[in-house]
Amino acid sequence: MASLPAALASALPPALGPGSVPAVVPAHGVGSRGDLPLPFTALVIAAVAALVISFVAISTLWREPRLRDTDGVLLPGPVAAVLDSRWLRVVARVLAGIVTVWTLAALVFGPDSARNPVPQVVYVWLWVGLAFSSMLLGPVWRVINPLRALHAGLLRLARVSPDLAALPYRWGLWPAALGLGTFTWVELVAEDNTSLGFLRVLVGVFFAVSLLGAAVFGRTWFDHADPFEAWSRLLGLLSPLGRRHDGRWVLRTPLHGVNGLRGQRGLVPTVAVMLGGTAYDGFSANLSWATFVQSSPLPSALLRTATLLAFFGFVALTIWLASVVSVRLAGEPFSRSFSFVSDIAPSLIPIAGGYVIAHYWSLWVYQGQFAWRLLTDPLGTGADLLGTADLTPNDLLIQPTLVATIQAVSIVVGHLLGVLAAHERAITVLDRRAAVIGQVPLMVVMVFYTLGGLTILFAP
Amino acid sequence: MRTFRALPYAVCVLALVGAAACSSGTPDPGPGGSTGVVSTGSVKRLEVTVTGTTVTPAPAQVDLPIGSTLELVVTSDHDDELHAHGFDVEATLKAGTPTTLRLTGTEAGLYEVETHEPALTLLTVAVR
Repeated sequence: MASLPAALASALPPALGPGSVPAVVPAHGVGSRGDLPLPFTALVIAAVAALVISFVAISTLWREPRLRDTDGVLLPGPVAAVLDSRWLRVVARVLAGIVTVWTLAALVFGPDSARNPVPQVVYVWLWVGLAFSSMLLGPVWRVINPLRALHAGLLRLARVSPDLAALPYRWGLWPAALGLGTFTWVELVAEDNTSLGFLRVLVGVFFAVSLLGAAVFGRTWFDHADPFEAWSRLLGLLSPLGRRHDGRWVLRTPLHGVNGLRGQRGLVPTVAVMLGGTAYDGFSANLSWATFVQSSPLPSALLRTATLLAFFGFVALTIWLASVVSVRLAGEPFSRSFSFVSDIAPSLIPIAGGYVIAHYWSLWVYQGQFAWRLLTDPLGTGADLLGTADLTPNDLLIQPTLVATIQAVSIVVGHLLGVLAAHERAITVLDRRAAVIGQVPLMVVMVFYTLGGLTILFAP
Repeated sequence: MRTFRALPYAVCVLALVGAAACSSGTPDPGPGGSTGVVSTGSVKRLEVTVTGTTVTPAPAQVDLPIGSTLELVVTSDHDDELHAHGFDVEATLKAGTPTTLRLTGTEAGLYEVETHEPALTLLTVAVR
C-alpha cells in the first residue's frame, strides 16, 4: 500500500532555501503512512483458515444450486421508498456535482503544491472511497457519476432523446478493463502523477474520452465502458443492499450479488486488472523489490510497468488455466474453457474486494479525513471555506492491532465468499457429477491468490 | 469416482507446500535485524551512504518504538533532496556532506525515507 501514499507525498514542496537544515513542512504534509507488516501469527491463522475453508468446501458443500433470486430480507416499505425516491438521487447528484466543480476549480486555478486537494480527491476519494462506499451501498457511481449527469443534461438542452446514439455498442467491459488498467498504472507507476500539469491532462483526457464515447454510443457507454462505473458496479455486488429480480430492495449476502453477475465480454480482464493491480500495489512496497528496481540499469518506470502488466496477465492466465483443467476434468471440450472462465470470473470479485479492504483500509480512514484539510482551501489562498483547516484525522480506526485484524479477516472472508461463489457456479454450469471435481482447480488458484495476498501484507 | 476422493487432500498438501515455500522465501523483517543501526538509550543512529543509485547499507526496515528517536546521517555523492515520509521532514543533500535527520516516532505505522533525484528508497521506519 505504500506506493499510493508515496505518490501523494511526492508533491511536497522542495526543501526551503540552499543548504537548509531539515525544514518542517505543514504538519502531516501528505499521506505517507503505511501499515506495519502483518504479524506472523495473523498470517498463519489466516492461511490455515483459508485452507480449511477450501477443504470443507470441496468435500461437504451443497450439491444442488442453492442461491435463488427470490432470496433476501425485504426492506420495510418506508426505507425502500426513501431509497427509491427521486429527491435522494437529486441530493446525491447535487452533492457529487458540487465536489466535482470544487475539485475542477482547484485543478484549474489551484496551486501546484502539496496544498492542492486534487490528488487526494482523485487517488483517495474517487478510487479508494468509491470502492468502500460501493461495497457498502452498491453501485453508487451509476447514480452520482457527474459525467453521466453532464451527458444527460447536454442532451436535454439540445432537446434530443436521452438514448441518442450513433453506433451500437458491442465491446462489453473491455474498454473498462483498459481504463482501469490505465488508471492503475497512473496511480502506481507514472512519475509526477500528483503534479497539477499531469492531473490536468489526466482529467481532461478522461472527460474528452467519456463524452466522445457517450456521444457516439449513447449512455450505454457509461453502463459498460466507464472504468469507475465498472469498479463501482463490480465491487457493489458485494454490498448487503441490493435489488431482487422483481426490483424490490432486500438485504442479502454478497454471494447473491456476485451470483447474479453473468459472464460477459471483458469480464475476465476487468477482474484481472482489479485483483492484479491491488496485489502489485502491495508487492511494489517490498524493500527487496524496491532495491532491485532502483539499482537496476533498466529504467525503473519500464520495470514497474512490465511488472504491473505481468500481475494483470498472471491473474488472467491462472484463472483461465484453472478453467481449462476444470472443463477437461469434467470431460468437456477445451473450447468450453473460454465460456467457463467467464462464468466463474465473478467469484474472484470477493477476493478482489478482500484485497482492497486489506490494502486500503488505513489509507481510506486516514487520508479520506485528511483531504478535508486541503479541500477547505482549494485555490491556495489561505482560505478556510469549510472550517476544516485544522482537522486532525482521527486514528482510532487505524490502531495496528485493529488494522492487522481487519486485513487478515477481510482476506479470509473474501476467500470464503470466493470459494462459495465458485462452488455455486460450478454446480450450476457443469454436469452435476463433474462439478465437484471441476471446481478443484479453481480452489487451488484461489488458495494461491489468498496466500499470495497474505504474504504481500506480511512482507510489505 | 474413487480416484477423485484423493484430490481434495492432494490440493491441501500442495497448497500447504506452497504456503511453506512462500513464507520461507520471505526476508525476515525481524526487530532490530537491520545492519548499521547503533542504539544509545532511546536514540538510534544509522549512517547511510548513497553512491549513484546504490544505497549502503542495503535498504532495510528499522524498528523505532514510539517516543524514540532515529538519528539518520545521510551522505550522497550528488546533490539531492532527502525526504522522510510521515515525519514530514525534508532536507537538502550537498554532495559529500553528511546531513543529519532526527526522526521521532509518534504514530504507529510504516514510513519511507527516500531521495528524489533519482527517486531512491533508503530505508523504512517501522514505528510501533
